[in-house]
Amino acid sequence: MAVFDYRQAEEVRDAFARHGVRYLFIGKSGAILLGFPDTTQDADLFLAKAPENCRNAVGALIDLGFALTTEESEQIARGKDFIQLKNGPFDLDLIFAPDGIERFDDAWSRRVEVEGFPVCHIDDIIASKVAAKRQKDRDSLPRLLAFREYWKSKRP
Amino acid sequence: METEPKAAIPKEWLDEFEAAARRPLELRMRYAFIRTYKPVMDDARFRAFDTMEQYRRWCAENLPEWLGYGRI
Repeated sequence: MAVFDYRQAEEVRDAFARHGVRYLFIGKSGAILLGFPDTTQDADLFLAKAPENCRNAVGALIDLGFALTTEESEQIARGKDFIQLKNGPFDLDLIFAPDGIERFDDAWSRRVEVEGFPVCHIDDIIASKVAAKRQKDRDSLPRLLAFREYWKSKRP
Repeated sequence: METEPKAAIPKEWLDEFEAAARRPLELRMRYAFIRTYKPVMDDARFRAFDTMEQYRRWCAENLPEWLGYGRI
């Protein structure tokens, strides 16, 4: 399996656009798109949980090369809160209800576009990590908070 | 969990942020996305959880503590 890279991010962007999927990059992968220098293994996508959006996501993922069984496709179409995919060209986490964010539309209204990639605002990325209360997030949070300060200082 | 920075950005971090800002996105991504094996987590091709709470509980009960997925 290949490491997620810019070309694959473009493929995600384009496939999701073709299928009309509403999504946002979130988590550390979202922060990296915003400019946060750190490492991660997979891309995290926050998807709107509307039934049509979930069905569209299945089509987009198949286009991208994910080998989904009928049962797996049905679970994505149902919009289960968290889905981990390691059955495609790269690792992908689908999150339909991230901790710390009330509604997709709220996050969408605050999104940041980076070279055509829709990304959660840094405040939402941090809110989800704070709410998750994981050890690994607590360890990385001080640097992410510092990056938010830096990132906001550079915004017009 | 602390949510607000209380001090100025440490110079080492600031230098890293500035350096990253000078790189094109494609290069930033090349440096950022890495492949490492995470025991248990990487041993299934597909997992789905009805709720985030179920996912967090699964992580706490199944993943090695040192991976850092446990809740604090």
